[in-house]
Amino acid sequence: MKIDIAVPSRLYHFRPNPLPVILVALMAIGLAVAMVRFASGIGAISNLSNTYPWGFWISFDIYTGIAISSGAFLLAAAVYIFEIRSLRPLLMPTILTALLGYFMEVLALMVDLGRPERIFNMLFYQNFTSWMLVVGLCVMIYLAILAVEIAPIFLRGLKQDKWAHFARRFIKPAVILGVVVSTIHQGSLGALLLIQSAKLHPLWWTPLLPVMFFVSSISIGLAMVIFESSMTSRYFKSHHLEIKLLAKVAGAIPYAVGIYAVLRFAQLFLSGNSQYLFSSGLMSVLFWVEIVIGVVVPFILFISPRNRADPRTLLIGAIILLVGMVLNRFNVSWFGIHRLQEVGYVPSLAEISISLAIFSFGILAFGLGARYLPLFEDSDAIAERA
Amino acid sequence: MEQTVSRRDFLKLGGAAAGALAVGSFVPPRVAQAALEAGHLNAQGDGYIPSVCEMCVWRCGLLAKVKDGRVVKLDGNPDHPHSKGKLCPRGQAGIMTTYDPDRVLTPLIRVGSRGEGKFRKASWEEALDIVAQKMLEIREKYGSEAMVFSSTHNLSQVQFENFLQAFGSPNYGTQRSLCFNAMIVSNLMTYGMEEPARNYDNLQYIIYTGRNLAEAISNSETGEMIAAIDRGAKMVCLDPRFTKTAAKATDWLPIRPGTDLAFHLALINVIIEERLYNQAFVEAYTTGFDELAASTKPYTPDWAAERTDVPAETIARIGREFAAAAPFALAHNGWRTSNFVNSFQAERAITILNALVGNWGTSMVHAGGEEGGGLGKPPQPPYPRISAQRLDGVPWMYPFVPLKIGVFQQLRDSIIDENPYKAHGWFISRQNPVLSLPDRKKTLAAMASMDFIATVDVILNDTAWFSDVVLPEASYLERYDPLAVVGDKAYIRQPVIEPQGEAKSALWIYKELGSRLGMSEFFQYADEEDYIKQQLAPLGASFDSLRSQGYVELPGEAGDQFQWQTPSGKIELKSSTLESAGFAAIPTWSEPPAPAEGQFYLLTGKGARQTQFGTQNNQLLHKYDDEPRLWMNAKTAKAQGLRDGDMVQVASEVGSIYVRLLATEAIRPDCVYMMPGFGHLSMGLTTAYGLGSSDSDLHVTYTDPISGGQALTQTFVTVQKA
Amino acid sequence: MATIQQHAYLFDATRCIDCRACMIACSVENSVPMNDSYIWVTGSAVMGEYPDLRRATMPYHCMHCLEPDCVSACPVGAWSKREDGPVLYDEDKCIGCRYCMNACPFSVPHFDWDKGLFGGALMHKCTMCVQRLEVGQEPACVQTCPTEALKFGEREALIAEAHSRIAAHPERYIDHVYGELENGGTSYLILSHVPFGELGLPDVGVTPVKNVSEAAMRATIPLALGWGAVLTGVTVGMELNKQRKDKAGKEEPAEVEAAAGGKR
Ligand SMILES: Nc1nc2c(c(=O)[nH]1)N[C@H]1C(S)=C(S)[C@@H](COP(=O)(O)OP(=O)(O)OC[C@H]3O[C@@H](n4cnc5c(=O)[nH]c(N)nc54)[C@H](O)[C@@H]3O)O[C@H]1N2
Ligand SMILES: Nc1nc2c(c(=O)[nH]1)N[C@H]1C(S)=C(S)[C@@H](COP(=O)(O)OP(=O)(O)OC[C@H]3O[C@@H](n4cnc5c(=O)[nH]c(N)nc54)[C@H](O)[C@@H]3O)O[C@H]1N2
Ligand code: SF4
Ligand code: SF4
Ligand code: SF4
Ligand code: SF4
Ligand code: SF4
Ligand SMILES: [Mo]
Repeated sequence: MKIDIAVPSRLYHFRPNPLPVILVALMAIGLAVAMVRFASGIGAISNLSNTYPWGFWISFDIYTGIAISSGAFLLAAAVYIFEIRSLRPLLMPTILTALLGYFMEVLALMVDLGRPERIFNMLFYQNFTSWMLVVGLCVMIYLAILAVEIAPIFLRGLKQDKWAHFARRFIKPAVILGVVVSTIHQGSLGALLLIQSAKLHPLWWTPLLPVMFFVSSISIGLAMVIFESSMTSRYFKSHHLEIKLLAKVAGAIPYAVGIYAVLRFAQLFLSGNSQYLFSSGLMSVLFWVEIVIGVVVPFILFISPRNRADPRTLLIGAIILLVGMVLNRFNVSWFGIHRLQEVGYVPSLAEISISLAIFSFGILAFGLGARYLPLFEDSDAIAERA
Repeated sequence: MEQTVSRRDFLKLGGAAAGALAVGSFVPPRVAQAALEAGHLNAQGDGYIPSVCEMCVWRCGLLAKVKDGRVVKLDGNPDHPHSKGKLCPRGQAGIMTTYDPDRVLTPLIRVGSRGEGKFRKASWEEALDIVAQKMLEIREKYGSEAMVFSSTHNLSQVQFENFLQAFGSPNYGTQRSLCFNAMIVSNLMTYGMEEPARNYDNLQYIIYTGRNLAEAISNSETGEMIAAIDRGAKMVCLDPRFTKTAAKATDWLPIRPGTDLAFHLALINVIIEERLYNQAFVEAYTTGFDELAASTKPYTPDWAAERTDVPAETIARIGREFAAAAPFALAHNGWRTSNFVNSFQAERAITILNALVGNWGTSMVHAGGEEGGGLGKPPQPPYPRISAQRLDGVPWMYPFVPLKIGVFQQLRDSIIDENPYKAHGWFISRQNPVLSLPDRKKTLAAMASMDFIATVDVILNDTAWFSDVVLPEASYLERYDPLAVVGDKAYIRQPVIEPQGEAKSALWIYKELGSRLGMSEFFQYADEEDYIKQQLAPLGASFDSLRSQGYVELPGEAGDQFQWQTPSGKIELKSSTLESAGFAAIPTWSEPPAPAEGQFYLLTGKGARQTQFGTQNNQLLHKYDDEPRLWMNAKTAKAQGLRDGDMVQVASEVGSIYVRLLATEAIRPDCVYMMPGFGHLSMGLTTAYGLGSSDSDLHVTYTDPISGGQALTQTFVTVQKA
Repeated sequence: MATIQQHAYLFDATRCIDCRACMIACSVENSVPMNDSYIWVTGSAVMGEYPDLRRATMPYHCMHCLEPDCVSACPVGAWSKREDGPVLYDEDKCIGCRYCMNACPFSVPHFDWDKGLFGGALMHKCTMCVQRLEVGQEPACVQTCPTEALKFGEREALIAEAHSRIAAHPERYIDHVYGELENGGTSYLILSHVPFGELGLPDVGVTPVKNVSEAAMRATIPLALGWGAVLTGVTVGMELNKQRKDKAGKEEPAEVEAAAGGKR
C-alpha cells in the first residue's frame, strides 16, 4: 500500500505563533524552580512528604511518560521485524517522540531523585532483586537503542549519508533488543508496584501487574501513534494525515483493549477481588472511570471501520483511550495507594511547573526535530540500499 | 553603649557560645580532671558520669554520656530508686536545657524599662555588687522584712533559706501553696507527717483522686503504677478528664470537679456502715472513730451520687472492693491538690479512708525525710531574730500552714495591698511566679510595685524578663548542689561538663552575695566541693568514692512504724488540732461553688513533656507536639457552634485569653482544660514565646483558710468564638 | 548477657502511656534532627464516645523484618540485614529514589526533604541503636521507657514471653503477637488490647511483600531471553521470506499487515 507522502521535508514552518515563546517561558520557570530544589531540597518546592514519597512527578513524568513512549517499540517491531513497511512513514516521528520522552524522564528523575549525582551508582552497586534497578537500567539501555534507531535520520539530517548507511546496519539488532527491553521496561513499571501489595488497592494490585502494564502499553502505543500523527499534521501543515494508515493502526486497538479487559476482569474474578468492584467507594469509582474511558469507549469507537476512517473520531478516540490509561497509571502509582496517615497530598504549583517545563522542552525539541530532520520522509530508499 | 544587647543580639550571643563549645574538642580541664580521677572518663575524655536530673523535682539519678567535653546523652541511672535506669521524656530532653541557645550565660543588668527586655551584659562583680547594694539600701530604709525571697523546691534551697534567714526577712514564698498544701496539711493533721511514703509492692487496688501519674510523671512511681496494673491491680481514677492515667484505669470516673470530698465521704460511709473497716487496726491506732461514724452517716452513696455524677452502685462497689483488697489497697493522696477550697477536707477524707482499712505498714509507710540524718553541714551561727509579721499571713491568717510552706498567693496579694507593710525588693531563684501564680495581672502588678528585683535562673524566663538583675545559674549538668537524699542514700549532683559562659552554681552565688552583705559567717564553705565534703564529714565517707559511685550510704534510723507525731500519737480520724482551732475536725461536706449557666470549670494539669513553667523553651520537648489547645467536650462544642481548631476567647472574672479549641470526647461536658506553662511573656525565649496562652491569666485567687492552698479549679470561664 | 542470636523488641501497648521518652531518647542518641524522628507515636487519638473511651499508643519504628522488603527493593543495595537482627543503611550507595519508602509495608524509612544537591539528602530510620548493642547496652528507646512497655532481647524468648503474657491475661490482650509472623516475621513484636489497626499498624499478610516481586524477577530473565529469541527468529524468517519473494518478484503479502496490531 503506497501512501502519497506530500512533500520533501524541511519546508515545515511554524506558523508565526506564540507557542515557542510560551514553551521557553515555561522552561525558564521550571529551571528556576529546579534551582531552588537543588539548593534547598525537594521539600522546598514540592508537597511530597514521608507519607507521600512519590507524587505527581512519578505518576506523570515517569508512569505516564513511559507509557506514552510505547508507540516506538510497537512501530519499530512492526516495521523492522514484521516488515509492515506501510507503517514506515509513522516510524521516525514516533521514535523521536520516544527518544525525547525517555530523555524527559531522565530530566524528571534528575529533579526527583534525592541524589541525582549518584544515578550511575546503578551501574556500580546492583541489587538484582530490585525492580527499581531494572527500571533504571531499562531507561539507560533503551535510550541508547532509540539513539541507534534514530541515528540514520539524524545523520541524514546532518548530511552524513555515508554514516547514516553505516548506522542502519545496527538497526535490526537494535530493534529486537529494543522490543525486549521495552517489554521488560513497560512491565517493570508494573512490577515496581508488586512489592506494594499491602498498600495498593486490590482493584489494581495483582501479581500480573507487569503483564497488565505491558498489555495496556500496547493500546497506549497505538493510540499515541494516532494522536501524534494527527497533531503533527495539524501543526505541520504540509504533512498530510495518513488516514488510511492510522485507520489500520486503530483497527488493532479493539484487540488490544479487549485482551487487556479480559485479563483485568479475569484476574479480578479469579482472585476474588471482584468484591471491591462496587464496594470500595472512591476506589471503585476510579476503577470504573478508568475502565470505561480507557477500554470500553475506545473499544466501541474503534470497532467500527467507519469511525476509524474519520480523522476527528480517530483523534478523539485516541485521546479518550489515553486519558483512561493515564488515569490507570495515576491510580496504580498514586490514588490507589493506601497511606498510613490521613495526610492529603496535592501537588504544588512548583511541582507541576517542573513537569510543564520538561514537557515544554519535549514539544520544543520535537518541533525542532520535525523541522530539521527528515522525519516524515519515507526512508525506504536508505533501507533499500542498506 | 555597645554593651546593650537587644533581643536578637542576645540570642546570637547564646547561640554563639553554645556553638563555640561544640567546636572545642578538648575536655575542659577541671571537670574532666575530676571525672578522670573518679574513673568515669577514659583517656580520650569519653565516658559516663553519674549525677541527678533536675528537669523536675523527682530528681532521678542519671548517667551523663560525655564526649569531647560535651554531654551527648543522658541515661537513667540503674542505681537510683527514682530512675531505675530510666528517664522520663523531660529527663531525656535535659541536654537541650543545658544547650538551649537562649541560655543566659552572663549576668544581665536591665537598661530599658521593666518588661521591655533590654539588658546589658555585666561582670559578676558588678552584678553582685548591685544586688547587694540594693538589698542593703532596702534594709536600711525599710527593714529586712521589706525584702521578699522566693524559690521553688531545689537542692540548694537549704542555702537559699540560709541566705534569707541570715538576711533577716520573714518573707519567703514557695510554690507549695500552689501545689500540695491541702495534701501536706491534711497528712500533718491525720498522720503528723507531711507525706507518708507509698508502697506499690503488692498493691491490688488504687484510687487516684486527680493524680495523673501517666502525664504528671514521677518516673519511678509512674512505672510502679503501670507494673501494678500489669500485675492485675484494679485502678480507680477520679478525673473530669480522660487522662492517659484514666486510660489505664479499671474505672474512670469523670467526677464533677470539687466533689471528691463527697465521693470519699461516701466510701467511708459504705466501709463503716457495712463494717468493712479493719476493726483491730482502727481500735489500736486511731482516734475519733465513733464521731467519724456518726458524722458520716448521712453521706450515703445515693447522697454522693447526686453531687459527684458517679452512680451510687459504683461508689458502693468501689467501697467494698477497696476494703476487700486491704491492706493492699491505697487511696492515693495526690500531689497537686490545689483544686478547690474544699480540697483540704477531701484530702483529709482520703487519709481517713486509708486508716480505716488499715493499710499502714503495708501500702503506706513512714517516709524518710529529705534532710538526711547523719549528713553534716557547714557551721551556722544563730540567725538574727525576726519580729516583723509575715506578708503571707502565716500564722496570723493561716495558723496551720507550716512556716516553711507558706501561702505564696497571699504573699503576692499582701505586696499589692501593702498589708501589713510595703515590700520593696524581691529576690527570686529557680521559680517563675509570673506564670505559676494565679491571676498574672496581679503578679505583674506586685512586681511593678518593687524597687528592685533580682532573679537567678538559667534562661531569660518571664520572671527574669521583668527583673532588674538576672544572675545566670549553671545548669544542673554543669554544677554541684548539696547532696540529694533518697531513702538511705545521698546522691551527688556533679558537673558533667564545664559551665558554659559565666554561669555559676547557686551555692557560689549565695555565698558571694552573703559576703557582700556582711553575712560571710553564714556561708562557711570554700566552694561547692568543700560544701559537700563538709556534708560527708560525719559519715567519714570519701568525696572521691562519692563522685565515682554517685551516692553514699547513710546510717539507717529505724523508728517505730506505728508511732505518729500527732498530739495523740495516733492516726487522728478526728483532728484534735483542727478542733481546737474551731475548724471541722471531721471532714464534713460543704458545697463548693459551681459555674453558672454558660460557664465552665477551668481545669489545669500537667502534660508529660513539659515541667511547670520552665521547660517550654526546650526544643526537644516540642518534637511532634502541637501548640496546646483548649479542650472542650465535642458535643458541647457543637452545641456552642464551635468547631475543632477554632480560635476562641476564654474569659474569667480576672482576665481573658485567646486559644485554639480542641473538640474532644475526653472531657466532661461542663469542663474545659488547658495545659499550663504556655503563653510566656518573655521574648528572650525564642522557642516558647508566642506559643499558646497561659491559664494563669484566667485563674482567680482563692485560698483555703486551713491549708493555705490555692484553688485552681475554682475558676469558671466562658468560651466564645474569637 | 549471653550473646543474642536474633535481637528483638517486645512492646506491650497496655503499658504504654504515650509519654514519648522513647522518641526523645532516640533523637538524642542518634542525633536525629528536629524535623525528623525514627520513632513516631501512633494511634494516640481518643476512641469512643464520652464516657466510654479508650486509647492506645505505640512507638512506631522500623520492624527490622526478618525478610526486609527495603533490602529487596533498593536498586543499589543500600539496605542490608545484619545477621543478628538490625536492618542497616549504607548512605554511600543511596541514590535517593525513595523506592524503599514505598516498598516498606510499614512505611518506615524517612527522607531528607530539606536537603539540596549539596546537603546530601539521605534516608533515615531506626538503626536498632547498633552502636549501643555493640557496647552491651539496650537501645535508647527501650532502656528509658519509664513503664517498661518496651523490652529487648532474644526474639524466640520474647515470643514465648508474649504468649505467656496473653495466656496469663486472656481478657486483657488480643490473642495475637503482631510481628511473630507478619510479613515473614519481624523483630518488633507487639501485644495489644485494641485491634492492631488502632495502633496504626498496617494489615499485612504473613508472606513478605517482596516475595511476588522477587518471583517476577526470577521469571524475567528467561522470559526476556525467550522473547528475544522469538523476535530474532521472526526477523530472520521475514528476511529470508523477503529475499525469496524478491526473487520471485512478488508483492508484499497482505496478511502480514493485518497482523500488525495483533502481534505482541
Ligand atoms: N510531666 C510533668 N510531670 C510532673 C510535673 C510537670 O510539670 N510535668 N510536675 C510535678 C509536680 S510539681 C507536681 S505537683 C505533680 C502534679 O501532678 P498531679 O497531682 O497529677 O497534678 P496535675 O497534673 O496538675 O493535675 C491532675 C489532674 O487533676 C484534674 N483535676 C482538676 N480539678 C479536679 C478536681 O476537682 N477533682 C479531680 N478529681 N481532678 C481534678 C485535672 O484534670 C488533672 O488531670 O506532677 C509532677 N510531675
Ligand atoms: N495554672 C497553673 N498554675 C500552677 C500549676 C498548674 O498546674 N497550673 N501547678 C502548680 C504547681 S504543682 C507548682 S509545683 C508550681 C510551680 O511553680 P514555679 O516553681 O514558679 O515554676 P517552675 O516552672 O517550677 O519554675 C522553675 C524556674 O526555674 C528555672 N530553672 C530551671 N532550671 C534551673 C536551674 O538549674 N537553676 C535555676 N536557678 N533556675 C532553673 C526555670 O527556667 C523556671 O523559670 O506551679 C503551680 N501553679
Ligand atoms: S521524673 Fe523525669 S524530669 Fe523528673 S527527675 Fe525524673 S527523669 Fe528528670
Ligand atoms: S520495617 Fe520496612 S524499613 Fe524496616 S526492615 Fe521492614 S521493610 Fe525494611
Ligand atoms: S532511596 Fe536510597 S535506600 Fe531507598 S531504595 Fe532508593 S537508593 Fe535504596
Ligand atoms: S532502637 Fe535506637 S534507633 Fe531504633 S527507635 Fe529505638 S532508640 Fe531509635
Ligand atoms: S517511653 Fe514507653 S511509655 Fe513512653 S511512649 Fe515510649 S513506649 Fe510508651
Ligand atoms: Mo507541684
